[in-house]
Amino acid sequence: MANLLDRAVESFKRVGEGLKTVFMHSFREPTTQEYPEKIQDLAPHFRGRLALAVNPDTGDHLCISCRQCERVCPDKCIEITAHKSPETNKLELIDFKIDHGLCMFCGLCTEVCPTTCIINTNDFEMADYSRESLIYDIKRLTLTQDESTYYFDKKELPRPKPKAAAKPAAAAGAAGAAAKSAAAGGDAAAKAAAAKAAAAKAAAAKAAAAKAAAAKTDDGETKAEPKAESKSEEKAAEPKADAEAAKKDVVEAKTEDITAEPKADAEAAKKDVVEAKTEDKAAEAPEKDAKKDVKEAKADEKDPE
Amino acid sequence: MEFVNVQELVSTGVAEALAFYFIAALAITLSIGVISDKNVIRAGFLLIGVFGGISGLFFLLQAQFIALAQVMIYAVGITLVVVIALMLTNPRLQNEEAEEEAIASSEPALLKFLDSIRNGFPGLVAWIAFVTVYMAIRSEHWEQSTQTIGEDNIAVIGRALTTDYSLPFEFASVLLLAALIGAIMLAKAEKVEDTDTPREGIESGSN
Amino acid sequence: MNAAEIYKLSRLAIFWLSVTFGAVWVACWGVGVFIPSLITGKMPFLLQVDNPSTTVVFIADLLRSLTPILSLLVFIPINAMFMVLFERRSLALFTVRMGPNRHGFDGLAQTAADAVKLLFKEDITPRGADAFMFTLAPIIFFAPSIFGALPLLAAVTNNHDLFKVANLPTGIFYILAAASIPVVALVMAGWASNNKYSLVGGLRSAAQAISYEIPLVLSLVTMCLLAGTLDVVEIVEQQKGGILNWNILGGGALSGYDKLAPYWLNLVDTSFDTSAMFGQFYPVPWLSSIMAFVLVICTVLLFGLYLTGACAEINRIPFDLPEAESELVSGYNTEYSGIKFAIFFLAEFTNLFVVSSIATVMFLGGGDNPIPKWILDRLPLEPISNALGSLLSPLIKDLMFIDPATFWAAFWVIVKVYSIVFFAILVRGTLPRFRIDQLMDFGWKRLIPLALILFVVVVFARTWVVCHG
Repeated sequence: MANLLDRAVESFKRVGEGLKTVFMHSFREPTTQEYPEKIQDLAPHFRGRLALAVNPDTGDHLCISCRQCERVCPDKCIEITAHKSPETNKLELIDFKIDHGLCMFCGLCTEVCPTTCIINTNDFEMADYSRESLIYDIKRLTLTQDESTYYFDKKELPRPKPKAAAKPAAAAGAAGAAAKSAAAGGDAAAKAAAAKAAAAKAAAAKAAAAKAAAAKTDDGETKAEPKAESKSEEKAAEPKADAEAAKKDVVEAKTEDITAEPKADAEAAKKDVVEAKTEDKAAEAPEKDAKKDVKEAKADEKDPE
Repeated sequence: MEFVNVQELVSTGVAEALAFYFIAALAITLSIGVISDKNVIRAGFLLIGVFGGISGLFFLLQAQFIALAQVMIYAVGITLVVVIALMLTNPRLQNEEAEEEAIASSEPALLKFLDSIRNGFPGLVAWIAFVTVYMAIRSEHWEQSTQTIGEDNIAVIGRALTTDYSLPFEFASVLLLAALIGAIMLAKAEKVEDTDTPREGIESGSN
Repeated sequence: MNAAEIYKLSRLAIFWLSVTFGAVWVACWGVGVFIPSLITGKMPFLLQVDNPSTTVVFIADLLRSLTPILSLLVFIPINAMFMVLFERRSLALFTVRMGPNRHGFDGLAQTAADAVKLLFKEDITPRGADAFMFTLAPIIFFAPSIFGALPLLAAVTNNHDLFKVANLPTGIFYILAAASIPVVALVMAGWASNNKYSLVGGLRSAAQAISYEIPLVLSLVTMCLLAGTLDVVEIVEQQKGGILNWNILGGGALSGYDKLAPYWLNLVDTSFDTSAMFGQFYPVPWLSSIMAFVLVICTVLLFGLYLTGACAEINRIPFDLPEAESELVSGYNTEYSGIKFAIFFLAEFTNLFVVSSIATVMFLGGGDNPIPKWILDRLPLEPISNALGSLLSPLIKDLMFIDPATFWAAFWVIVKVYSIVFFAILVRGTLPRFRIDQLMDFGWKRLIPLALILFVVVVFARTWVVCHG
């Protein structure tokens, strides 16, 4: 009897505790998000609708019609039409079709794409009235330049290099040399930085470029190890390269040049991550500031991960 | 403001007579349905309706307590349990019936005749009982009661049950107790002989 | 703090309650007061007739006597719509969600839209079903909630003239008898659907209802024992005068203290000798006080017992085995669609309202103000009520649109009933479903013995204390 009473009291207590807990829940903010009004900030690697990116900087279509995605797709939902151009003897993309009704959003195509052209966007609202309208052709698939910039930034993808055809020969050569010397250093960061530095100097003095590259290599090795996103600034003989700590992942190196450089050259110097912009204004960047920048860049680099 | 009393309207004059005939007709129709319906379960539900009709008659007699007890105990409590029991046993009953019919069709004429007598027997008994009761009621001289019905007839019933009629009341409860004990004994699990398969014994006992 | 959602819920409750009870009262007043007064020529400012003909008087009387039923017919659908929405929003609050907030203004019209949708849906009778029984079941399920609630009307409206007719001397017994009928409908629905799930749901509901009706009825019988009557109006009348008189606190065992408190607290005449009066309420010096305390414990337990039994009777979580979604699809109403399903749904929520009203009337003093009368008298409320009274006098006296006593009774009843409803929703949000054997064990081995013990204890304890009865 006493046992029964004890158990009764115990169960009353527990039920009361439960009721109290549940009641106290009503003072919490609801975790629900009101979907159409507020869309959750999706993760960078969210696998939504497939799309074809263009070069964020130039707007060139990135697809090289290599058909790797077509081959790897488990659902066979990608269909690429391309032909060999008689002039350049290269593949030219005619049409690119993805049947999103078949696609299972595994993301394999995005992994194999050599130019990071095909990407998963964050768009998941793909409801449509017919199965046919789920087959997207190249017009519907291709992103605008702004959208491409957004996804490249969001997914922290390396910026693609512009098409070789657009490069003036001299600049390309300089950049290529710089890149090679940097590669000898064996470090991606160094390579990037070196390339940038080289671009900065391309017009003024080619000899200085090698020096700068060397200096860069040291700098990169000692300070910015793992990623290509380190941002360093090099003060070369004549041009003052001023680096500013940019958003997070994208390094913007603003190279200031006294002798006004044509834009094409600067763009030609762009390598992997580094975006070089030529500016006409003279910037005073003392060495102290430059070092600070480097430190900041390093701190930034640790943060995101 | 003066308002009309519906109860008075019902208990006096035409309204009461109309209500009586309506309820009586309903009850009789339903009870005919009970005995003529082939489906036992539907017959059970109709029986609930019959009890509801009877409780309506009690209501007309101003016997609210009995009317409500009729609904609560007979209509809902007992009949519903009977219906449920039928639901649980019904398939087996139908099978047996079919078997019996199959056997009957292959019997000699004499046995068939005897069978028809056997099948007609319950109806015969029912008719005899009905006629007896009807004669008894007709032959009795019913006097109109002069006693007024108290507003608080529940108190009257309670007092009567606990004073004048306490002995019959207790006997009735003893009867119910006996029925209860009998039901428990029937439903009790048989002693399990084979310790290896205890579940079987319990199941066969409880069903 | 989740102030926004709580504010939305309370706004919803206030809005819908005003709509519901406003509509009911306007309908009742129109049919029961305005039209009869108009046709018999008693309405002020309007046409005056000196001697109305007998036919007109008869029609007026008929209209008045039909008012209680009319009020329920207006009330039940609107109330069910509100309660569904209230339940969904409250549950959302408890489960840290938002709940329906699209239709209408913050989801206020959600259930109205649902109701319209249900009414327009196809009404399907499954093959092999017993069509007659299949149609009859929702009607039998719904009807008791209309006529079973009738005796409560007078109790919750402070015995208003319009609703007096509906009162019965066997009030609570009548309500219980009516409340026991729906289980027939559930078995019928389960059997007629020609569906195994439905059948099992129906059988379960029968077993459950029969088991839990016993503690339910026993708890109410014990309260009737303390009150000495079955008439709900009388039971409410006895509990007047503040929370200490309510049945939940000893069924009047504390009303002696309630009456003597102002003297002890020196609020009134201090020279008054309280011991004689105390002896009147509590005859045996110490034993009576102890027994009053025992009675209070018993009645609180009985209230819990009633709520448990009622929960099982109307198939609410944690006793919703007859319609357990995870086991039986949705039990007895699996095969129902369209308007028949709507009727089942309507009746279920009406039943929740009815059992809450019974609890209010039997335990919580009906339309009684919880503040003890001797405190209320000392509050400076009279000027306010007088000012309001003179302001609204055309409505109160001439049109008889507002009856202050009924208004306050209804107000407190609404507060109490919906508190119990809210508690039921809280329980639904907290407790998981019972298993069928646990349910039977709990009912037969715990609740029924407890109810019997409490019954016996109350019978003995009340001999030493003066209770309501």
